[in-house]
Amino acid sequence: MVIDLDKCVGCQGCTIACKEENNIPYGSPQEQRQRRELYWNRVIAVSDGEYPTVRIEFISMPCMHCEDAPCVIVCPAKATYHRDDGIVIQDFRRCIGCRYCIVACPYGVRSFNFKDQQEEEYHCPDLPPDRVSRGPWPFPQRVRGVVEKCTFCFHRIDQGLQEGKRIGIDVVPACVEACPTKARTFGDLDDPDSEVSHLLATRGSFRLKEELSTHPKVYYLHG
Amino acid sequence: MNLTYSPIEGKSRGYRIMVAILGVMVAVLVASYLVAYLEGFQVWGISNAVPWGQLITLDIYFIGLSAGAIVVSGLSYVLRREEYKPIGRIAVLMGLLIFTGAMVCVLVDLGRPEKFWRLFMYGYLNNMTSMFVLNSIWYGGYILLMLVYLWLVMENKTRLAMIIGTIDVLWAIGVHSFTGAIFGLIGTREILASPIKPFEFIAVALTSGTALLTLVVVAAFKFSNRNIDKKVILSLGRLLSFIIIVLLVMVFFDKLTHIYFPDREGVIFLFTGPYWWLFWCFQVGMGIIIPLIILFHPRAGRSIKGIIIASVSVVIGVLGERAALVIPGTAQVQQLYPGNIEGVWGTAGAFPITLWETTLTLGIVALVVLLFVLSLKYLPLLPVSESSEASEVSEASEAAKNTVPASGG
Repeated sequence: MVIDLDKCVGCQGCTIACKEENNIPYGSPQEQRQRRELYWNRVIAVSDGEYPTVRIEFISMPCMHCEDAPCVIVCPAKATYHRDDGIVIQDFRRCIGCRYCIVACPYGVRSFNFKDQQEEEYHCPDLPPDRVSRGPWPFPQRVRGVVEKCTFCFHRIDQGLQEGKRIGIDVVPACVEACPTKARTFGDLDDPDSEVSHLLATRGSFRLKEELSTHPKVYYLHG
Repeated sequence: MNLTYSPIEGKSRGYRIMVAILGVMVAVLVASYLVAYLEGFQVWGISNAVPWGQLITLDIYFIGLSAGAIVVSGLSYVLRREEYKPIGRIAVLMGLLIFTGAMVCVLVDLGRPEKFWRLFMYGYLNNMTSMFVLNSIWYGGYILLMLVYLWLVMENKTRLAMIIGTIDVLWAIGVHSFTGAIFGLIGTREILASPIKPFEFIAVALTSGTALLTLVVVAAFKFSNRNIDKKVILSLGRLLSFIIIVLLVMVFFDKLTHIYFPDREGVIFLFTGPYWWLFWCFQVGMGIIIPLIILFHPRAGRSIKGIIIASVSVVIGVLGERAALVIPGTAQVQQLYPGNIEGVWGTAGAFPITLWETTLTLGIVALVVLLFVLSLKYLPLLPVSESSEASEVSEASEAAKNTVPASGG
């Protein structure tokens, strides 16, 4: 995934789209302050300098799906693992809830599910029209006591591949689809003809905390 | 030196009241765990910013105490130092019971405790690179070794006890260094990450284990009207002062390494952040400086009272040291991008002390103390000394035994 920081306006559209798509409960303001709300994607605002020479940058943060993921190394139950396509997945049925991965994650993109979530909140009456065609949600019901994280909407990708659609063009994760400024681009980094490869070849890019050698697969374009 | 051991009578009112109080606290433990299990961990102080709280703090504290007690028991059964023989059995039992408490801590801290068996499916359903899985080997073997070791010393099979004791002492050191590795190997958390952490954990285990053993021995002997040679306590005090110096050197160089290089936010957060008092007051003050002053004081260091005060200080200080690792270690905001992260994502994680987590923690401590006082009643652990046989069960002494959990827990 490539995120263009010059286009991002910090609207949190990706955060909300992710919550809608993956059935992630909204927390109360208090839970948000206590850092107990579940987020698979979040947008942080980073300020640098003092008024009037201040610069604000919005960094949208899904899971970085690191090539060398610290969470995969520390997970005792193989609940977090790499799929063949490189996506770092979290299997709720395997997770024992030890929270070691939250401690080990350098990006803080993992959330622990602290309570039974209310069911009625998810039965949104106005589902997006394509929900029916896409079949059931991957996570119709939350399991308490496990760790959750972004999956790059693997259910969309898997279904798209089955139907022979082009990943990154016809099928993209919900956050990419929802971004109003088209700051996010999704595709195969190994494919030199994909749009993400093209963007990375033509623009300057960086990754978060590259010095840790986790090799994140989320790139940020800047300048 | 031939010693005969005997259980305490345990029929006095004081003893019964103490068992009853501890029993109630264990019931509170069960209740508070049920609350946490039914309501989710939202009733605890933990959050996504500080994912490990009181239970992990108590867990590593207990593992350290247990490893320390087993290593000290080696003085009597491995090195065959006769003067330590009266406290040998108690040390092994302490190691076993406290470690059981540590395992209870880990189990109840899991979000899905019913799936804990996954840790033991070596290579098949678990991930062998995880420190938790490696530790499941260390911990499982450690419990088995301690059970065999305790049985051997109870049966007075000194030769076998020496062999198993040697393995167990080495195993205990392995247990605690790998427990240190759980934290030390997390490269992304500046306060936790340190190659010296496993060794620091061994030193901490020895200080807290020796200190608690000193307290328990003094209390158990005093309140069951037995006599203990003053020399044993004094030599435990000397041992304690020596290990605290080793610990001081390790802590000093660990922090110096982190503060010397310009990338020093982690140490600055620990020293001056919201949890500065955990480090300065508990870890450094009560865990290192106060006991060192007392132990090296020409008079206080050679009196039982001085050693007891130093031990109390170490036992409390090390608990704070564990908290100073677990809580600020994860509460520190990770620098993701140059600048200040605004809003909730840039605020250091808060760890409120909550009712149910605290009752659960205290309940686990009570469980360990309860098992300990019941063992004193049903197992011959304390040596019978000539002077004590007549007045073993005096009412007053049993009532005074109430202070064992206070100093021992």
